[in-house]
Amino acid sequence: MGKVKIKRKSTLIDMTAMSDVTVLLLTFFMLTSTFLQKEPATVITPSSVSEIKVPTANLVTILVSGAGVDGDGKRDASVEGKIFISVAGDVDSTFSSENVREAVLIEAVTNYNKLHKNNPVELTNAQVKAFSKLNMFGLKFSELPKFLEMEVAEQDEVMKHLDNPVVGIPIDNNRDMNKPNEFQIWMRAIYNVAEANKDMGNDAFASALRRSGEGIAVKADKDTPYSTIHNVLDNLQTLKLNKFSLMTALKTEQD
Amino acid sequence: MAQIEQSDKGGKGKKGAQKKMAIHVDFTPMVDMNMLLITFFMLCTTMIKSQTLQIALPSNEKVEEAQQNKTKQSEAITLILDTERDADGNVMMDLETGKPKHTVYYYEGKPVVDDENKDGIIDNPNIKVEKFIGNSNTGETFGIRNILHNRNKQVLEKINVQKEKWRNKELTDEEYQALAKDIRNDSTLVRPVVIIKAGPNASYESLISALDEMQINQISRYQIDNINGVDSALIISYKTLNGIK
Repeated sequence: MGKVKIKRKSTLIDMTAMSDVTVLLLTFFMLTSTFLQKEPATVITPSSVSEIKVPTANLVTILVSGAGVDGDGKRDASVEGKIFISVAGDVDSTFSSENVREAVLIEAVTNYNKLHKNNPVELTNAQVKAFSKLNMFGLKFSELPKFLEMEVAEQDEVMKHLDNPVVGIPIDNNRDMNKPNEFQIWMRAIYNVAEANKDMGNDAFASALRRSGEGIAVKADKDTPYSTIHNVLDNLQTLKLNKFSLMTALKTEQD
Repeated sequence: MAQIEQSDKGGKGKKGAQKKMAIHVDFTPMVDMNMLLITFFMLCTTMIKSQTLQIALPSNEKVEEAQQNKTKQSEAITLILDTERDADGNVMMDLETGKPKHTVYYYEGKPVVDDENKDGIIDNPNIKVEKFIGNSNTGETFGIRNILHNRNKQVLEKINVQKEKWRNKELTDEEYQALAKDIRNDSTLVRPVVIIKAGPNASYESLISALDEMQINQISRYQIDNINGVDSALIISYKTLNGIK
């Protein structure tokens, strides 16, 4: 009796095709992706039927933090209504985010020092550079030099604690532009920088801010009470930046 | 990893003839690495971009009485938004629908503020209550949408005619948008002026929902205003008269 010989077959699978597919997919994701921006507070925006997309360039985002949850699972209102600002320039020009942020910081600090002659804020060039790398900021002016000296990990640690009183740009219901609050100083600085760029031939930012209302986006949590939001809207009205957009997610008419 | 196999067939080949060599490169690690990268990019990207709702508010400068735009009483409808919250300030949910409890108080024209017996409670507040419900699949409207829909019927009917044409590809997107805009701003039609007021407890979501209703009902004239004493008095009176806490 002859033994049945089991033929030994090689188990090698040709992975070339698979590799082709994955490389294609990878290329697709790399080209289409815009990275999630680091934001100090996570908010769930309400949904609306509006289909206008958020622009990626020439945009000022004002983030209003929502209420947190404390250790017992209760609503923690102490972290609610903290203001953060993010400035994005245009990548394809000299008007890049970094340049805009530097200009905004210098402008804002100069204005702040004019109003607070007794304790001015002094920044080194390195600190200004560090600021231009921040996507979103929200801190008292007086804390800025110390904050900008820190390593990125330490900065994140500071921004994580929203209940810390130094975190968040101070805001009140001031309507007197001779004595602006810190939020108003920042917004005015951003506006001035945009206007200065307009004189240099870059009109996009200034027109987005003033004319169309595309340039300012207010982002807030859906459960935040209107009294908190109203403060921000009122400040923008005082600054005569009364056209702006509210960030929402998409929903259908049936909802 | 990359091995070169020699096909050896009994050594019958002629001497000096070139041996056939098959080159196998094992792509498995390459695929592994690619998959990891894909996973990374998939998790780090935002495919859905946020939408925005554009609004324009009046500036805070004082306006003279004579320069103020007066709204015709017959056209005005005021919405006052409120959201029910528990003692901690959490938004309460409606157990049946699973939606947050937003309430829309509204009155048409001027508020009625007669208080004959001077008990601080308005006798017949002309205020009514609705909710954000939306519409059914067949296009029936409910809640506050129904109220606004009926007020803006003439505009909506005209726009629907154009919308049908646009659906049948008789109009391009731009043409349709331009026509719809003209109809929305056509002063010969009966159009409401909506004043949206949000109470201090009203959540941001309810404000957006109210602005949404303006879009859905093609209302071109609306304004966000601050709540005042009369509005609060109306709501308190309504609640007292109807036995709501």
